[in-house]
Amino acid sequence: MGNNQQETRLSLSGRSEEEILRLVLNRRRCNEGEKVIEEEEEQEQVPTHLNTINSSGGFLIVSPDKLSVQYTNVHLHGHDVGVVQANCPAPTKCLVYYFEIYVKNAGAKGQIAIGFTNEHFKMRRQPGWETNSYGYHGDDGLLYRGQGKGENFGPTFTSGDTIGGGINYASQEFFFTKNGKLVGNPYKDVKGPLFPTVAVHSQNEEVNINFGQQRFVFDIEAFAQEERLKQHMSIEKVLLPLNVSHWIVRSYLLHYGYQDTLNSYDMASKSTLPPIAVVQENGFSEHGNMFALNHRKLLRQLIRSGDIDSAFGKLREWYPQIIQNDMSIICFLLHCQKFIELVQVGELEEAVIYARAELAKFFEIASLAGLVQDCIALLAYEEPSKSPVGYLLGMGQREVAADAVNIMVLLEDPQSCTKSHLEMLLRQLTACCLEKRAINGDQGEAFQLQSVVQSS
Amino acid sequence: MSMFRVFISQLAEIDTMSTSKKVITREEWEKKLNDVKIRKEDMNKLVMNFLVTEGYVEAAERFKMESGTEPDIDLATITDRMAVKKAVQCGNVEDAIEKVNDLNPEILDTNPQLFFHLQQQRLIELIRNGKVEEALEFAQEELAPRGEENQSFLEELERTVALLAFEDVSNCPVGELLDISQRLKTASEVNAAILTSQSHEKDPKLPSLLKMLIWAQNQLDEKAAYPRIKDLSTAILEDPAV
Repeated sequence: MGNNQQETRLSLSGRSEEEILRLVLNRRRCNEGEKVIEEEEEQEQVPTHLNTINSSGGFLIVSPDKLSVQYTNVHLHGHDVGVVQANCPAPTKCLVYYFEIYVKNAGAKGQIAIGFTNEHFKMRRQPGWETNSYGYHGDDGLLYRGQGKGENFGPTFTSGDTIGGGINYASQEFFFTKNGKLVGNPYKDVKGPLFPTVAVHSQNEEVNINFGQQRFVFDIEAFAQEERLKQHMSIEKVLLPLNVSHWIVRSYLLHYGYQDTLNSYDMASKSTLPPIAVVQENGFSEHGNMFALNHRKLLRQLIRSGDIDSAFGKLREWYPQIIQNDMSIICFLLHCQKFIELVQVGELEEAVIYARAELAKFFEIASLAGLVQDCIALLAYEEPSKSPVGYLLGMGQREVAADAVNIMVLLEDPQSCTKSHLEMLLRQLTACCLEKRAINGDQGEAFQLQSVVQSS
Repeated sequence: MSMFRVFISQLAEIDTMSTSKKVITREEWEKKLNDVKIRKEDMNKLVMNFLVTEGYVEAAERFKMESGTEPDIDLATITDRMAVKKAVQCGNVEDAIEKVNDLNPEILDTNPQLFFHLQQQRLIELIRNGKVEEALEFAQEELAPRGEENQSFLEELERTVALLAFEDVSNCPVGELLDISQRLKTASEVNAAILTSQSHEKDPKLPSLLKMLIWAQNQLDEKAAYPRIKDLSTAILEDPAV
């Protein structure tokens, strides 16, 4: 039994080290990067013109602006179709993709098609005739999906018509429009990446393509908006347990030791929450951790005010075991903070002495060396707050140190958890959305908490 | 392994691929959870948004101090909004209407339905307090003309006046109008209208995110078995049923 306990204790301390390291490194990464965020949100390439290299050049002429095509031959058989794809596949990390064609001249037979094809498509065939290709054909109004035989779909189209082709990634469906109106039933079969594709196949057929450089005839924004609304409605239909948000907020305040906020919150909710909440409270009261709330609050206050000496003092008094090992990450973080505070008030000489005594030894720990270096680098600048390492001087860095101390104190209680319920729920939400997208072949809009929080 | 057994095992593999869902073990899932980047700052903002939208003005002030999070609305406006809400909750509808107009007269001018619901609530309070004559006068002079503009207003008015026909309202078909929940409904409608007029969302973001979590888990259930969170209040991961 005793042995077991020992083991738990050890693994707990390992967990906390890991957790705090994560906090610290996260903070550094956040600084380096707006870069990181940009990387994740990297704009996908969007089709802007026709690909003239990989088109069936012998049969059609692409205009110099690469936005219209004309069939100049007399067609003889099924393998001399004038087909041309866009310069790149339709983007997939969005809600919908859409493009339009304008039939300038339906030519001898009006054998014009609009659709989507993949990179292996045979460039002498109509879209829809080959596997993994889809085409809406003007002469018969049929939809072709990977074989020579089409299915009843929509109206035929001819000179003067504007036809649109789109992919709805939310529902995984293709859709087509004629003169600004949806036609046919959308078809569920989207396997990207797919190139917007146009085909002409009888003499004098001429088509202009609009990849969005001009206003679309179809109101694609309204279509996307409606799709968003549909999703929003199905989400809003979900029923939540009574007052669950209230209790999640409460346990968040408890977790981080925001005690003053908590007291006000509790006072106010006594009078506004319907009486049923009192019953609920019993069920919820065990969630969220009251442990050492007052200590945690005071430690946070000290660190947030930059008084690291007092924070060390209180820790020595209340939880000497936490800072016993001077080479631990928590000690490292507090020493860094102390150094930062010295730089902040311009006591550079003392800062140097402090760094030699307390920080230099951490250089040998690979995972921490980066932060030590950032700290010391503060000394190199006349105006450190405007330097690349200026992020260290902000409130955010104090907050990291305060959060780290908070976790260490929380872990003195064996039942504690290193993350708040809110954080665990948000992680689960993000992971579920990512996984769902991954299973869908990475199609559709990505979920980003940051953009939800910042939207208003 | 013989060729035959290789063939059989490949068949079995194909079989599981086609019939069963993708299985994600707890270990794999926890790794994915750990890779998610959640910024403390964003969580603070979510909590602040909840406090502000739900009207916890003092808590929002304290939270600003304790966490350094800036509220997304002027905190002073919360106090006014809560005063209106409270007035409706206590049945002081006249008082509430006056306060809304002090805040911004356009709110009621541009929102006839809200104005009607407030007047209706006022009528309900008069009936509750047994002021029959005053109630009738109010209904005829203030509410009936509005009913002419809108058929659904008229129906609501008739439903409310029906309260007068019963001696024992606790047992009548429209008795629910006298329930406290009717006040809360009206109060939250005013609250939402004021928030909208301040170009702030009328609902906090947190509940929507929680709904989204349940929804996303349900959607993912169709394609994969993975550890899910069943009880939002404990946030405990439960092993996938395999």
